[in-house]
Amino acid sequence: MKLKSMLLAAVGVAALSTAAMAEEYVIGVMSAQSGYLAPYDGPAYAGFQFCIDEMNAKGGLNGKHKVRTIVKDTRSDIAEGVKVVQEMLDGGAKFIVSSADADPTIAAAQITAADGVPTMTFAGTAPVLTQVGPHVFGSYPADNQQGAVLAAYARDEGFKQAWLVKSPDSAYTNGGPEYFGKAFEALGGKVLGESLYTLNQPDFSAIVTKIKAADPAPDVIVTWAWEPDFPALIKALRGAGVKTQVMGGDVMDTPTVRGLGEVVAGSVHTSGGFPDEGSAYADFIKRFEAKTGTTPDNNYYVNGCDIAHMIEQAVAAAGSTDPKAVSAAMANIENGKGVMSNFTFKGTDRMPLREVVVARISADGKKEFVRRAIADPATLPKP
Amino acid sequence: MELFIQQTVNAISLGGVYAMLALGLAIVFSIVRLINFAHGEIMTFGAYGIFLALAFGLPPAAALLFGLAAAVVMALAMERTAFRAMRGADVVSLLITSFAVSEILKVLFQNGISPRPVPITFPPAWSGAYEVGGITIGVVPTVSIMVTFTALMGLSFILRRTVAGMAMRAAAEDIEMLRLLGIRANRVVAVSFALSGLLAGIAAVIWTAQRGSVDPLMGFFPVLKAFIATVLGGLGSLGGAVLGGFVVGMLEVLAQAFLPDSLAPYRDAIVLAAVIAALLMRPDGLLPAASAHRS
Repeated sequence: MKLKSMLLAAVGVAALSTAAMAEEYVIGVMSAQSGYLAPYDGPAYAGFQFCIDEMNAKGGLNGKHKVRTIVKDTRSDIAEGVKVVQEMLDGGAKFIVSSADADPTIAAAQITAADGVPTMTFAGTAPVLTQVGPHVFGSYPADNQQGAVLAAYARDEGFKQAWLVKSPDSAYTNGGPEYFGKAFEALGGKVLGESLYTLNQPDFSAIVTKIKAADPAPDVIVTWAWEPDFPALIKALRGAGVKTQVMGGDVMDTPTVRGLGEVVAGSVHTSGGFPDEGSAYADFIKRFEAKTGTTPDNNYYVNGCDIAHMIEQAVAAAGSTDPKAVSAAMANIENGKGVMSNFTFKGTDRMPLREVVVARISADGKKEFVRRAIADPATLPKP
Repeated sequence: MELFIQQTVNAISLGGVYAMLALGLAIVFSIVRLINFAHGEIMTFGAYGIFLALAFGLPPAAALLFGLAAAVVMALAMERTAFRAMRGADVVSLLITSFAVSEILKVLFQNGISPRPVPITFPPAWSGAYEVGGITIGVVPTVSIMVTFTALMGLSFILRRTVAGMAMRAAAEDIEMLRLLGIRANRVVAVSFALSGLLAGIAAVIWTAQRGSVDPLMGFFPVLKAFIATVLGGLGSLGGAVLGGFVVGMLEVLAQAFLPDSLAPYRDAIVLAAVIAALLMRPDGLLPAASAHRS
């Protein structure tokens, strides 16, 4: 009798653990710990894991599917990224969260295409990245949405003539200003000229001298340059006495840029969100601070958390964790609930339609809220 | 004409930074046959020195001195811990050692300080502009040109007129003979590293004043350009390194300024093609060292 009950108990435990294992949902995460993507992947991963941990504490996604993450370093190297994605798939990953840029995401998506494993970028915003296949998703407001909202703001403020500073070296630094230009001209503005730079260009003085000599002079300079190029550009502009309004993409939304002092005061940029008092975003910051001791000082943290919410809602809508079903459900989400902002995949090419915030850097290096808007899908510049 | 003068100022300013970095590389190479690719990290460390000094509330001028000192200390530490043990090794082993040191330092910066760039804010007056005869010229490029020429003249004085400098030039010719004459080679090598560190520190000051931030990868590209400059000038030739630095910097700026937009993506390729063409005509460089060591 005793033996029988022991056997029964053992079978019961085995059955339970099998059930638990069956419910486990494996998510592979590409996170560059070094190289040019580390500043974006690091915070995005921290926010993602934080919210996954919160969900797991409540029983997993939708209280049902415990999540196990496989996190691998890519060193910001695309070849390494491809390798780790394969390893994560071999390890049972049913969802891949890829690095925060279009190029590594496109490479990862080639690997996940065979099994249709949904692949979502941490913060890549170039709309071209979802063209790889129906299993690829953006998470952050795309460059064309940001460009359209910023262009509308610029026109509303009376700016008429823009000068674009872009780099063909990345889809982000090239696409952002181009989308702005298209939207700006559609609204009656004029793009006077553009300057091309290379990533990590040592010196921007030649470009600045050219802009300064432009006749007629632009009344707004627009760039999607990231660090350290943006600080170099703005220092060179102000150093040469060019006081023209500067506007840019969400990559300007960093403590480093805000810390540049007087040279950036008054510059305007787009942003994925703004933590208004009492908002879900502000609450996220409080919880994150309380648990980790780190203050999320950019939107990549909260967007990482929103990726966890996107996955949770897609799995709920799919009613299963089957990769193809999750992809199909994700693509059909309408007004999904996020922390940074809500998101709609339905009717888009899987770059979610989300609110874009326009913010200004104040003289004392603070981020000031200017406006919040959703780009009109009908007039959105096409990739 | 105004545009041309302004672009020329820009070109000399950038060329000056490359010249200083190239000279730092050349001083060390001429003595120990080491192409120090970790030279960029000496520059980065100097810039972090400025950042930390400012963060601890030092006045900007003192922070700059602290940055220079940090670069010198880093150069000396590098020589003592990594390169002294490799003295006499062949060029390839030394090169790989320098890559290793460079990678280790980059990872330490990323994990110990921040993978993100950190801002360095100097007083606004330091980044202004002034007018001469209707032409606006930036304060930073002007100061950088002045500092570059002062540093180069100072270095020239040290190399030609002081005992340490003469010992360094002698070591560049024949370090074994120098030893036989009773000069302590270790000291000469250490002084050469200290000088190269000082030049990297000055470059770091100018670079951060122009660019406003420092990140772990900051030193890589300028040192790559400086390396091209030393090869162009003549590997091992100090005068050649300076000339090569100015030529590369000026080619870069002038290509950016005056090439038509349709050719802009080929800018770097055009500059490098010009360097290759120059080397085809003068394989030992523009100003080859007396006993040229071709790579």
